[in-house]
Amino acid sequence: MEKTLECFKRILGKSKKENIDILIRGIFGISALISASVIIIIIIFITIKGVTPFISYNQGLGQVNIFRFLTGRVWLDGAAFSSSLYGVGFIIINTVYIALLSLMISMPIGVLTALFIAKVAPQRLSIFLRTVVELLSAIPSIVYGLFGSGVILVLVYNFAELVGIQSKGGNSVIATVLVLSLMSLPTITAISEVAIRSVGKDIELGSLALGATKTQTNFKVVLASAKSGIFASAILGVGRALGEATAVSLVAGNSKSGPSLGLFDITSTLTSTMLEGLKETTGLDYDIRFSVGIVLMIVILLTNIILNYVKRKVGSVSVK
Amino acid sequence: MRKIIIIGLTLISALYLVGCDNNQLDTSFDATKSITVYTRDTSSGTRTGFMNGIGFGDAAEDNSLLVSGFVTKDNTGILTAMKNDEYGIGFISLASLNNTVKGLAFNGVEPTIANVINNTYSLKRPFNYVIRADGDYGSLDKENLTKAFIAFLGTIDGSDIINDKGAIPLSATGTWDDIKAEHNVCLKDNSNIVIKFGGSDSIEKIAKALSSAFAPKCGGFIAEHDHTGSSDGFKRTQGSEKDSDNAKDVGFASRDFKDTEIGDIGTQGQLAWDAIVAIVNNRNTLNAITQESLKSIYDGTYKVWEDINQ
Repeated sequence: MEKTLECFKRILGKSKKENIDILIRGIFGISALISASVIIIIIIFITIKGVTPFISYNQGLGQVNIFRFLTGRVWLDGAAFSSSLYGVGFIIINTVYIALLSLMISMPIGVLTALFIAKVAPQRLSIFLRTVVELLSAIPSIVYGLFGSGVILVLVYNFAELVGIQSKGGNSVIATVLVLSLMSLPTITAISEVAIRSVGKDIELGSLALGATKTQTNFKVVLASAKSGIFASAILGVGRALGEATAVSLVAGNSKSGPSLGLFDITSTLTSTMLEGLKETTGLDYDIRFSVGIVLMIVILLTNIILNYVKRKVGSVSVK
Repeated sequence: MRKIIIIGLTLISALYLVGCDNNQLDTSFDATKSITVYTRDTSSGTRTGFMNGIGFGDAAEDNSLLVSGFVTKDNTGILTAMKNDEYGIGFISLASLNNTVKGLAFNGVEPTIANVINNTYSLKRPFNYVIRADGDYGSLDKENLTKAFIAFLGTIDGSDIINDKGAIPLSATGTWDDIKAEHNVCLKDNSNIVIKFGGSDSIEKIAKALSSAFAPKCGGFIAEHDHTGSSDGFKRTQGSEKDSDNAKDVGFASRDFKDTEIGDIGTQGQLAWDAIVAIVNNRNTLNAITQESLKSIYDGTYKVWEDINQ
C-alpha cells in the first residue's frame, strides 16, 4: 500500500495538496461544462424541432410558409391536423404589447416601492417589506394564475360592466396585463432596491447640503444615479412578462386571431399558444409549438438587446 | 406608519365594497346582450364529441368555422368562467358538472347520469370495445386474459376507474373479487404475456388506467397501448389489419360501430358513455336548448341571447 502511493507520487511528481487543487479545478470545470451544455442542448433541440415544420412536408400537409407564419393574423386557417397554414404575426404583436403595458404598471409601482424601502421607510418596516417582496417573488406562477382567474377576472368583468362594456368573462388584455404586472413587481422592486441602496451616500449628502429637500434628493439624485440598475430590473421584469405561460393562459382567453389591442378584448401570447393543447396534440400541430418557441426566444433576445442599448444610452452616475 | 395602515384599510374596504355591489346589483338577465362563446381547444376529445353531437362535426378541428371572438379554455377553465360570465355559454364533460353553473337540458332531456344510462340524453357518445375473434389470439392464455379484462370492465372496480377519468360507466354488478374465481388465468404468472390495446385516442387515458389497475390483479401481464383513432379499433382486431404488425388484442372506438364493423358474437360491447353538457351562468333564464340552437350559437348565426327561441 505504502509502496503504491509512493509510486503514484513519483509518477505525478506533485504533492497531495497540489493534486487536490487539480481535482477541485476539474470538478469546477465539469460543472461549468454541464450548465453551459444544457443551454446549448436545449437551443439545439428546440431549433431542430422548430425548423422541421418549415423544411419537411409534415406527413403530406405541406411545408409551413415562413413568411405567412411570421405575418399571419390567424393562428390556424383550416382544420387542425389537416392544414399547415399557421400564423403567429398577431401573437408577436400581442405579446410585446402586453409586456410593455405590464411594464408601464409594474415599473412605477416597483421603483417607488423600492425607493420607499431603501430610503423612506423606518428600518423595521423596510425589513418587513423586503421580506414580503422576497416572498412574492417566490410564489409559483400557477398561484398567480389561480388568483388571476379567481379574483382579477371577476374584478375586470365587473368593472367592464360598470363602464358599460360586455367583456368575455373578464378574459382580456387588461386582466393579463394586471397578472403579469403583479408577477414582475417583486423582481423589479428587489433589483431596483439594491440599485438604490448602492447609490453613494456622498452624492445624497451633497444634494442635501446644497439645500435640496429629501423628496427632491430622492427623485432627482438618488433615482437618477440608480437608473442603470433600475433599467436592469426592467429588463428582468420584461423577461418574466414575455416568458410567463401558465398564469397568462388562465386569464387571456386564448384568441386565435388578432391582434388584440383593445383593453377588454381577449388575447393570446406566444407562451400561452405554445402551452394550449400541448399535452393532447400530435404531429405538425405539436411541432409548430417549437417553432413558436424559436420566435419567442428571438423576441426575448431582441427586447433585451434594445433595452440594454437604451440602458447604455441613459448611462449611469457613480454607483458603488 | 399609522397613515399607511389607514390608507391600506381604506383601499381594501373599497375593493370589498366594489365586489359586494356587483354581487347585489344587476341580478336580472339582459337577453339583448351578446353571447360569449367558450370552447375547448381543437385537440380536445370533448370538443369532438360536442361538435358531432350538435351536428357541427366540421368545427371539431377547425376554428375558422366558429363564430369570431370565441374564448378557448380547458374543462375547468370553462366551468369557472361560467360561474362569472353571465352571458357565456360553454360545454364540459357531464362528470364535472356541479351546481355553480347551470347545465342545459338538451333536446328536452335533463343532463343527468340516469338519463345518460337510460339512453334518453343524446349529447353523448359511446365508448365501445372490440376484441379478437375466439381462437385468434395465438395462445389460449392470451385469449383468457383478454376476456378476463373485458369481465373486469363490468365490475365495480372497473367502473370506479372509468368514473375517475371523467366518463360514465354502464351499471356495474359485483366486484372483481366476486368473479375472479371464473378466471383461472389470473392465478398464473403472466409477466411474459403482452396484451396490445389500440383504437380511439379519446379512450386512451381510460384504457391505460384500466390496464395498469388490472395487470397486478391478473398475473402482471404487460399492457402495450397504441391508440391511433376509432377506425383502427375494429380494423386491427378483426378487420383488414388483424394479422399485420399493428394487430391488437383489444380495440376501442369512441362511436358506434359501423355496419362494416360487426364482428363475431360476444366480441364487441360498450364500457362507458362520454356525456357532454352545455352550461351557462346560473342567472341565465335559459334552461333548455336544442341541437339546432347550439349549432347556431357556435357558428355565429345567433349573436344575442334573445335570438334563441325558448
